[in-house]
Amino acid sequence: MSPVPGHGLAKGLAVTLRTMTRRSVTHQYPDAAPHLPPRSRGVIALFEENCTVCMLCARECPDWCIYIDSHKETVPPAAPGGRERSRNVLDRFAIDFALCMYCGICIEVCPFDALFWSPEFEYAETDIRELTHERDKLREWMWTVPTPPALDPGAEEPKEIAAARKTAEKLAAAQETAAQQTETPEGGA
Amino acid sequence: MTLAAGHPGFMSPTGVEIAFVLVGIATLGAALVTVTTKQLVHAALWLVVALGGFAVEYLLLTAEFIAWVQVLIYVGSVVVLLLFGLMLTKAPIGRSPDADSGNGWVALVVAVAAAATLVWVVVDAFRSTWVDLGGAAQGSAKVTGAILFRHWVLPFEALSVLLLAALVGAIVLSKRGAPARRSLLSKSEALPMRGVPSERKARES
Amino acid sequence: MNGTLDVILRLVAVLVVFLVLPLVVGQTEHKVMAHMQGRLGPMYAGGFHGWAQLVADGVKFAQKEDVVPEGADRRIFQLAPVVSLLPYLLVMIAIPVGPHGFVGQSIDAGLFFVLAVMGVGVLGSLMAGWASANKFSLLGGLRTAAQLMAYELPMLLAGASVAMAAGTLSLPGIVQAFHWWWIPWQIVGGVVFFTAGLAELQRPPFDMPVADSEIIFGAYTEYTGLRFAMFLLAEFAGIVVLCALTSVLFLGGWHGPWSGSLGWLWTLVKTGLLAFVVIWLRVTYPRLREDQLQKLAWTVLIPLALAQIALTGIVKVVTS
Repeated sequence: MSPVPGHGLAKGLAVTLRTMTRRSVTHQYPDAAPHLPPRSRGVIALFEENCTVCMLCARECPDWCIYIDSHKETVPPAAPGGRERSRNVLDRFAIDFALCMYCGICIEVCPFDALFWSPEFEYAETDIRELTHERDKLREWMWTVPTPPALDPGAEEPKEIAAARKTAEKLAAAQETAAQQTETPEGGA
Repeated sequence: MTLAAGHPGFMSPTGVEIAFVLVGIATLGAALVTVTTKQLVHAALWLVVALGGFAVEYLLLTAEFIAWVQVLIYVGSVVVLLLFGLMLTKAPIGRSPDADSGNGWVALVVAVAAAATLVWVVVDAFRSTWVDLGGAAQGSAKVTGAILFRHWVLPFEALSVLLLAALVGAIVLSKRGAPARRSLLSKSEALPMRGVPSERKARES
Repeated sequence: MNGTLDVILRLVAVLVVFLVLPLVVGQTEHKVMAHMQGRLGPMYAGGFHGWAQLVADGVKFAQKEDVVPEGADRRIFQLAPVVSLLPYLLVMIAIPVGPHGFVGQSIDAGLFFVLAVMGVGVLGSLMAGWASANKFSLLGGLRTAAQLMAYELPMLLAGASVAMAAGTLSLPGIVQAFHWWWIPWQIVGGVVFFTAGLAELQRPPFDMPVADSEIIFGAYTEYTGLRFAMFLLAEFAGIVVLCALTSVLFLGGWHGPWSGSLGWLWTLVKTGLLAFVVIWLRVTYPRLREDQLQKLAWTVLIPLALAQIALTGIVKVVTS
């Protein structure tokens, strides 16, 4: 219990008065853009140059909200006399954001880094059918994807960089040994 | 007729007098509707109109203080109490014919007798005395207070004793119900769910 | 002719004040409440910091359909908002703003007039509560009536204390008789008066009759459009009236430095400060429960008011 009766009442009044003199915490959103934290889940962007139409994202999607159409193309052999290669060409890549639950599994499973989180969130439509966004829109959102935040100091190296460095080192070592071997008979590699 | 010769007559009424009569008629009408309407809450609201009419009549007689006390006590408190009671008993919207007690004729007789007595007393007391309203206000708070506490102290005090008796009576009536409530309380205490620990502690200490 | 013109001018001035001040208080409430909760409040209507928010609200209310529930008592339902709003307009006529007859109409028993007419305003809520044919409205009406009966008494007693001190019932007369040492002398009465007035207006923390989390909006649940707006306007007009009355009765109205020429400003400033306190209390305190409400009135406010009257009487007898 408080020593003076009415002490609590006065304290309450003081709290509200102090809050009034402070700056309010309101963000005036439509006038001022909100400051979103890194890795905000706004919308999914597609870096279609990286997409190989492996269909992993569409298959892993819990809502089945990713639609992918593609066809195969044969590419003439790179070197004369070589074999013709077939390649998947993306025809359609659409995400129905009326179904999407922003779990981010598609982004996690993409082996070729073709899907990214974009902090863009102003894509409301007046018709639910218009929430299915096609690849051009998804590609445009790619420009809003921020650079990933820097790692914490002392953090482990990112896996892909570690792997790339390892291969690069291996390659360098191989080249070195090759260069040592080719000191005598032939040149170039 | 000789009496009226020196006074302003009833034949050439002033504006205030006309207003007085008109408001009087409206008040009487509202009072009649109050007792004849079959809708309970409407009766209470018509009572508000009638009491307000009385206040206006007092005002027209320059008895300002009495008028506002009339509004304050009767409209502001008594009718609110009345409405409270009506709402508490869930007065229905629309007619409630079962609310008629059938004592209408007795009530009419009492009302007529009371009205006749009052009118007779007033007429007998004042006859054709002419009170001039144009001069200093005789119903102002100051005058009313002086008259009340100089000439009419005894009736005033007697009335306060009456009110005190009513107050004591109300307390006694409400106390009679207390044992029953206490037994209810002890019953609720016996239930394990109801006893809040802090409350119980407070009661023990 | 000159007299008639004078009366008309005064009435028009009162009407203008009646229409403007409640809106100012309402807007202040929007903003102060918002900032006390760390928000900004209305920012758009009218451009600069949402100053026209209540005007916009009024336009919105005017556009809405005026619905009367099927089972309601039509006539009483429609009459109730008027009954609750008009008394405050009448009260404003009697409140003195400045010295030298700066008042709508000086009334001999002004204090009683004001308290009586304010009491009538609550009839509107009762009528609305009963006529809406809605259980929540009926509950709201019941609570309004219970609250009114409990708080009318301390308010009257506190007012009577000031009347005793001044030796008059006329509001300008009371202000005329004011001395600075009345403030410590009558402070208890002032607090009781203000608190009881808040309860009579059903302002938080005494807003049990309209407790929106349990009985929707009490007696006003079924109202729409302009009639609902009238109830809201009545609430804000009630705040203005209560604050003006408290400043006139207990804070000396127009008294202050340069009161000869700036008296009206002093009254307005005091009223405004009290209105701020009303809003402040609303933001700070949670709603009182029904039994706490009754307990506060009967066991705290009425004894305090009676003690104040006794004190006033003693001082009056000793000094005279």
